[in-house]
Amino acid sequence: MTVTVEHLTKRFGSAVAVDDLSFTVQPGVVTGFLGPNGSGKSTTMRCMLGLDRPNHGTTLFDGRPFTSFTTPLREIGALLDAGYVHPGRSGRNHLRWLAASNGLPSHRVNEVLELVGLTSAAGAKVKSYSLGMRQRLGLAGVLLGDPQVVMLDEPANGLDPEGIRWIRDVLAHLAGQGRTVLVSSHQLAEIALIATDLVVIGKGRLIEQSTVQQFIATHADRWVQVKSPSLGSLRAALAAAGGDVTDIDPTTLHVRNLAIETIGEAAAHASVVLHELSPQTGSLEDAFLAATADAQEYRSAMPAGGAS
Amino acid sequence: MILRAMRAEWIKLRTVTVTWVLAAITVALPLLVSLLTAFFQADDRGYDSRRMMENITGSLSLTALLHAVLAATTVTTEFGFNTIRPTFVAVPRRGVVVAAKALVGVLLAGGLTAAVLVVQVVGSLVIADAQGAEVAVGDVPTAVPAMVGAVVLAMLMALAGLGVGMVLRSTPGAVTLLLAWPLLGESLIGGIIGVITDSEEVMRWLPFQCGFRLVQLELFEGPSRPVSGFVFGAVAAGLLALGGWLVQRRDA
Repeated sequence: MTVTVEHLTKRFGSAVAVDDLSFTVQPGVVTGFLGPNGSGKSTTMRCMLGLDRPNHGTTLFDGRPFTSFTTPLREIGALLDAGYVHPGRSGRNHLRWLAASNGLPSHRVNEVLELVGLTSAAGAKVKSYSLGMRQRLGLAGVLLGDPQVVMLDEPANGLDPEGIRWIRDVLAHLAGQGRTVLVSSHQLAEIALIATDLVVIGKGRLIEQSTVQQFIATHADRWVQVKSPSLGSLRAALAAAGGDVTDIDPTTLHVRNLAIETIGEAAAHASVVLHELSPQTGSLEDAFLAATADAQEYRSAMPAGGAS
Repeated sequence: MILRAMRAEWIKLRTVTVTWVLAAITVALPLLVSLLTAFFQADDRGYDSRRMMENITGSLSLTALLHAVLAATTVTTEFGFNTIRPTFVAVPRRGVVVAAKALVGVLLAGGLTAAVLVVQVVGSLVIADAQGAEVAVGDVPTAVPAMVGAVVLAMLMALAGLGVGMVLRSTPGAVTLLLAWPLLGESLIGGIIGVITDSEEVMRWLPFQCGFRLVQLELFEGPSRPVSGFVFGAVAAGLLALGGWLVQRRDA
């Protein structure tokens, strides 16, 4: 099921939270939904699910608006916040009313509780749950109807390493089955591991929609790492050839603006022994920070005297 | 679709403690008032069929307010804990959710009140008979209309409570309004207008006072029982419609 967001605009008073945003989410892959704090990710997801009324634009799930689904949990599973549970209700009863609302058989409740590892705590009130347990309960709700589309907002929040790995495996498995998976997260390392496609927004506008590889290639820094026990003559040769040379340590250089072949040939001409000559690329985090530099609403500074 | 939504609402309603606490009060309070009164007063010469029915219907007019509170909390707690979002994700047509909440609230209020009424009447008759008092429901010509009125009042209160809950979206605000307005607000306004106009007529037409007239045994002046019911019903429907309209318009 393809999810299409077209010209979505949402204003809160004079503040524009989402500004003419358009993107598509394809089935069969995990799509990461990235943006700085306050960029409009959660508002976009709420608009997609009909919770917030957009001022303009539409979201269609295989051509249908969300509100047209009579049993949406069978088609679209969404977790916007694990805290959206009545604390006085047990986890099992939370899932029971969700199942009843969409005519799902009650045995599905036990199945998804087993799947997320909450069977033993299912009868306890949610107020006794840790954040990680609430995330698992939220995911159980998402999986309840065995949906074709899965939308998750910060699903790894509060999960321990085992839980993070579990959710990564679950999302990869769902995408592998041809389902449509949209995941918003600040944990860029996680997104880099699980996502194939990216939708990056800033200040409510689309910055880029591409694959993770394309995004990193476009926005992240690239350089060649050179390791040698005798860098002196090579450093001068590379600088003369137009390279931007940075000393990392006595045996390591980072070289920019020169092709790796040129660097190798320069080393051969200078009769320098190389221990390493390898292309390097920045991380998704580097690419994200570069791409969203103009869209950061909140900027951090180093504490006074903290950086020397 | 509406039946599925009602089933979900029913599960939500009976899986939180506040429902059981309020339901226990709405059952226990009228039973205690009517049965204990019968037990301790049935051997008095003043205890007669009218007194018995006054105790029964009078206590139910108070617990009707608790049905309004209970109905209000079914929606205010959803906004308070943000569970309204998963609710609208599970049932995207908000009108269906509102209708399901209204139907469940009305059926619960009506069913509970009817059940309490039966126990009150049967219990009072048995106790009074055991104490040697000769009482019968048939002795009071307006007993049946007042008992029917008690059930209708509870159901309309549930609708009004749900409407207020949807408008305010706050449990403390809704509970305060639903208790303070009928018990204090209307008395205050009716009293002030009564002093100005030297008449109690306006007081009898105030919405919740009209509601309470449904359970009164004697209506000496003012609108008749059906007219009173229609007035309060129209106000309850208006509150429900306003709340439903706001729920449709607002972001969840």
